[in-house]
Amino acid sequence: VSSQDVGPVEAFPEGEVRVVSAGRREVGVTCWLGQLYAMRNVCPHQRGPVCRGWLTPRLTATAPGTMELRDEAPVIACPWHGWEFDLRSGRALSDERYALRTYPVRVENGRVLVEL
Amino acid sequence: MSGPAAVPGGVIDCDVHHGRRSDSELLEYLPQAWREYVLGPAPGPPVPLTLRDGYPNPHGFMRRETYPSEGEAGSDLALMDEQLLRPTDTVRAVLTYGDDLHVSGLHNPYFASALARALNDWTIDHWLSADERLAGSIIVACQLPDEAAKEIRRHSEESRMVQVLLGDNPTKHPFGHPVFHPIYEAAVETGRPIAIHAGASDWANPPSTGGGTASTYIEAHTLWPQTAMTHLVSFVAHGVFEKFPELRLLLIETGAAWLAPLLWRFDAEYRGLRREVPWMRRLPSEYFARHVWVTTQPLELSPRREQMIELLSWIGADDKLVYSSDYPHWDADDLDYLCARLPRDWLAKVLRENAMRLYGWSEADLPAPAARATGE
Repeated sequence: VSSQDVGPVEAFPEGEVRVVSAGRREVGVTCWLGQLYAMRNVCPHQRGPVCRGWLTPRLTATAPGTMELRDEAPVIACPWHGWEFDLRSGRALSDERYALRTYPVRVENGRVLVEL
Repeated sequence: MSGPAAVPGGVIDCDVHHGRRSDSELLEYLPQAWREYVLGPAPGPPVPLTLRDGYPNPHGFMRRETYPSEGEAGSDLALMDEQLLRPTDTVRAVLTYGDDLHVSGLHNPYFASALARALNDWTIDHWLSADERLAGSIIVACQLPDEAAKEIRRHSEESRMVQVLLGDNPTKHPFGHPVFHPIYEAAVETGRPIAIHAGASDWANPPSTGGGTASTYIEAHTLWPQTAMTHLVSFVAHGVFEKFPELRLLLIETGAAWLAPLLWRFDAEYRGLRREVPWMRRLPSEYFARHVWVTTQPLELSPRREQMIELLSWIGADDKLVYSSDYPHWDADDLDYLCARLPRDWLAKVLRENAMRLYGWSEADLPAPAARATGE
């Protein structure tokens, strides 16, 4: 495991995904409700650029025909085919057998470090 | 037909069409006011009890030898016993009506509801009381789902009416739509599966296919799987199995070979479109595995036997298929033919055990193969 400095914390505003180079990888980094997340910019479906997709709270339902938002659950949807992933686990919402590669992130002295 | 030795306890046939000898047989089960409505004061024919438009089959719809001396094919229990039940060692036949199956295609929703009630009472009196091997289906008029639910609950105590049967679709909505949910609520409450029989859209109610209305019977009949696809996808997408986790669904007479590719596609669609139906918590194929059964007839005829078995294996068909003859219809599958098409180690399940699971029957609920007709 190596820690990769991907920039100052101000470079990762709330609710936006920034794609950065980390070694030979493209990694998406985002801040959601004050928490940083990092994931590889490769969708496990067809290797699409998942981090160029849409970051939203998770749409869920308690019963058929209802819609609710779960703000605490950040979800990224791949721009190619719409596969959705929960950033907290990386797991696809539709099928837990599929997952994004996610990485631990921390802040040290105002710098964001991704552990690859 | 001869019974397969592979199933010593006798087989369960999930699609046997029982007919009427005459209109008067049913009329006595209609309330007096509805009888008056049917027979009327004017000269000329009465109001028809059965929809007969649909698509004509140039050979006729029934096997020639199944016509009794009086009445329609399937209306004579003794003949049914001689031609079907005894030769196949059938210990339980689930009755699914003849042309009366199309009651939901009638334009008049109130008359359709009254007819459905009469048909259910007639089935219990004329058929179930005559032979312990027979089980009935509660036919409902889908025009009025709340009335249909009442009809299901009216038979709460009648354990031999073993399922709720949907025939034609009188609406533009496939059967997963919430407008039909009162029917499913009552089915679950009374412990019964829902059965959707082929023709559930295209008999009296166009459009007969997703692409337009068929012109000929061969088109309509070839495309019957399309209606089952529509209803199955609708059940899953509308979250019917989430709303009613105990619900069991049986697809009758719409084939089985199409299920694997449909479910592959549906699973793939769900992975990208979950956002639209967030009440779905599983892959479509998982709902199918938990909730759906499929009858065998008409089993698609693949060029090589193993091709069909391969396709069926993808849906776990050894657990999902239930035997159906479709007697006395023209396209009924002979039991020996069916047995020759399926792997030998599937037979006990397909011909008996899967249906027991679907209907919740134990061995004690089934008559011994030696049982014979006791009346009529």
